[in-house]
Amino acid sequence: MDLDANRSLLVAALGRVAAGDRAALQTVYRLASAKLFGVCLRILREQSEAEDVLQEVCLTVWRKAGDFDAGRASPMTWLIAIARNRAIDRLRAGGRSRRMETIDVATEVPDTGTPADVALERTEQNERLQVCLGELAAHESSALRGAFFDGNTYEELAERMNVPLGTMKSWVRRAMMKLKTCLER
Amino acid sequence: MSEIDSHTGAPDDDLLAAEYVLGVLAAPDRGAAARRIERDHAFAASVAGWEARLAPWTDEIAPVVPPAAVWDRIAGSLPAQKAPASSVWENLAFWRGLTVATGALAAASIAALVYFGTAESKSPLIASLDGAGRHVFVATVDPRRATVLVVPASFSPEPGRVPELWLIAPGGKPRSLGLLNAEKPVTLVVPAGLLPRANTQAVLAVSIEPPGGSPTGAPTGPVIAQGKLTNL
Repeated sequence: MDLDANRSLLVAALGRVAAGDRAALQTVYRLASAKLFGVCLRILREQSEAEDVLQEVCLTVWRKAGDFDAGRASPMTWLIAIARNRAIDRLRAGGRSRRMETIDVATEVPDTGTPADVALERTEQNERLQVCLGELAAHESSALRGAFFDGNTYEELAERMNVPLGTMKSWVRRAMMKLKTCLER
Repeated sequence: MSEIDSHTGAPDDDLLAAEYVLGVLAAPDRGAAARRIERDHAFAASVAGWEARLAPWTDEIAPVVPPAAVWDRIAGSLPAQKAPASSVWENLAFWRGLTVATGALAAASIAALVYFGTAESKSPLIASLDGAGRHVFVATVDPRRATVLVVPASFSPEPGRVPELWLIAPGGKPRSLGLLNAEKPVTLVVPAGLLPRANTQAVLAVSIEPPGGSPTGAPTGPVIAQGKLTNL
């Protein structure tokens, strides 16, 4: 897929959505819904809930397209943030994340990179992020993955990794700051 | 962009933004952070910075084409006509900011004077409908039009249940004003017989009801938020 062309199409379509153009919302949907639905499904792990949340995402886009600023964010970043936020809000409303299996860092395959078969649209930014994630300790990247992909809270991560809550908070905070420093290098 | 990102806010604020975007905050902290985005530009910039940093991670998630019926539902649920973006009364960010910062009430008063004029007996009333320590909805009564505008602030919908708005005058029974929407501002008509009771003695309340609203004409579900009407 031509990412630049896709981006321009999305930016133009979001501008028309902000002006109340329904056909433009359908264009956004055509270009982005598979990605956004994948994100919702990954976090929610339940088809009908992911469908509901995708609908909420589209209504949010319809209402807030005027807030999107192409000079400040990529359209996919903006859309993915809405999808993740809505999916996580839904998890929180339900009380508990769906994925709560124990994370055992000792036996877990370390996250040294994305397996080729799942990195469908590996971008330059993703390569860079993978390098920086690879610099984290195994327990740190496991914790971040649990939060990012499973929607786990601090409390849930502490439970899954069998460490005190305070330890988990300092792991995650330290890992996020390391990640930021690495990405800005 | 990166320069803005790396210099916005205090380090603690940037950590909070990181935690919010990563998705690791439990519901109360998450809600507080989300509300802060609406009123704190530096914090919003920190959040946007973290969104840009972490979004590429979703490259690991395989796209899944949603069933065709989903688009049909979305198309069917769009409002008939989009409200003009310039209308501050329909602007959710404005109202969310207002509900958080009580100091903003002064600014809103000025807006109201411009908007409604100064007719005293017909001046608008506002109520912040709060529950569990949070602003859940904000309601504004416009006596001249006999309408009440209700904007969601931090309402979390329950599947298969709807929020219903009630006007409660002193010593009176709750009277339904209609159903609210979790997603967007709703303008309800205040029946002519109830309009005189929509004054600073009255309370507005929100209960959780079955689809279609209370079957009995009185609240049947829990009251999740309420607030007194005050002069704007």
